Amino acid sequence: MLDAHAVVLSPFETLLLNVALLSVVAWSMWKAERSLHPGSDFTVLALLALFAVTGRILLDPLPNVQPVTVVVLLVGIHYGASRSVVVASLVAISSNLVLGHGLWTFYQAMGWSLVGITGALLSQHLRIGQKISIPRIATVSFIAAFVFDWIVSISALHSIPVESFPLYIMAGLPFDLVHAAGNVAFAAWLTDPLSEIMSRHSRRRAVVVEPVTIST
Amino acid sequence: MKHCSAIIKILLFVGTYSMSDRLRVASIVLLATILILLPNIRESVNEEVAKYVSDNESSHDGLPTEWDEEQVICIYFPVDHPHSLYPEGVTMIDSDGSILGVNEDINSTGACVGGFDGYSDGMEFMLDATRVAGGHLSVGYTVNPNWGPFVHTIGGLNDAEVTGDFNGAYWSLLHNGRYSMVGIGDLVMSEGDVISWSISTW
Repeated sequence: MLDAHAVVLSPFETLLLNVALLSVVAWSMWKAERSLHPGSDFTVLALLALFAVTGRILLDPLPNVQPVTVVVLLVGIHYGASRSVVVASLVAISSNLVLGHGLWTFYQAMGWSLVGITGALLSQHLRIGQKISIPRIATVSFIAAFVFDWIVSISALHSIPVESFPLYIMAGLPFDLVHAAGNVAFAAWLTDPLSEIMSRHSRRRAVVVEPVTIST
Repeated sequence: MKHCSAIIKILLFVGTYSMSDRLRVASIVLLATILILLPNIRESVNEEVAKYVSDNESSHDGLPTEWDEEQVICIYFPVDHPHSLYPEGVTMIDSDGSILGVNEDINSTGACVGGFDGYSDGMEFMLDATRVAGGHLSVGYTVNPNWGPFVHTIGGLNDAEVTGDFNGAYWSLLHNGRYSMVGIGDLVMSEGDVISWSISTW
């Protein structure tokens, strides 16, 4: 009897398959967004959260490389702090249903929320004219990787003494570095397309479809 | 082909490409380089971290004096889940498998296996040392390609079996009496080091 599910892929093969899947997901979402009416900001937020969740799960074979930090930062810049907190928390909880839920989920939600809030606060400084500056987003997301990882590391204080914390942070530095490099790559490749989508669906720029009739 | 030549031109900083274009290519090169170098970077950092846990003298307290300066592994079982063979005190098993004695003054139950030297790889040491106990301290683990081995069972006790008024339980690793900053797969051991495993909860 054939049993295709028994096929065991190497980590590299799994990664290739996952990257292909993620590309299909991203392309489908890109196409789906084109058919939305301008101002569909909540639908776009849901699509972005789904993209971040699938990206985090499918890129799991690469340690600490995932698009969530950059997506949440861009959501903060375009849609403000409160919506970025919603996306950050939903992404942390949803992806951890697959990757493993625990005490750390709270700290991950908190860390990504802080990234989103930072994006909202710095939104005017991350633009050059009307355009989002990719080098500036890359710089902020590089720093955000370390800050996020250290916030998540606080969860270790539930099981290790405070005096060991600096060593714990030191041991994690290689993974912080990978996260930071991944963020720069995602910032370089995602800032323009995601900003374009979010700008098109920002309520502040919503197109008035029905003219207002004023009765006299 | 057209894209390849464009990427090569950007890499060589030839032509009129914007800073964003260059950043896109450079970011992929940077990420790939760091991922390739990651095992070496981790090893270097772990060696540095190990220097700060080199104080292993006091971690030999309660162990046989013949194990001073030797490498030791201890497994401590929770009160509600004692090991059937080591239910009272801590049994001291020498590297040749002989029982040196039982220390009943230690406020835990379980077993220590000691008298080793020359190990630097924590996982290799753990597997070799526990094998001496003739299968009574056998280790069950899964291997994550990124994070390395994750120990879930020691001496027949799976951490998932430990339940109570807490969210979950796991086998936690101490290196010379302090919580290890790295997993057993990344642990760099020195001569005289003592590692111990016990159930922690969260």
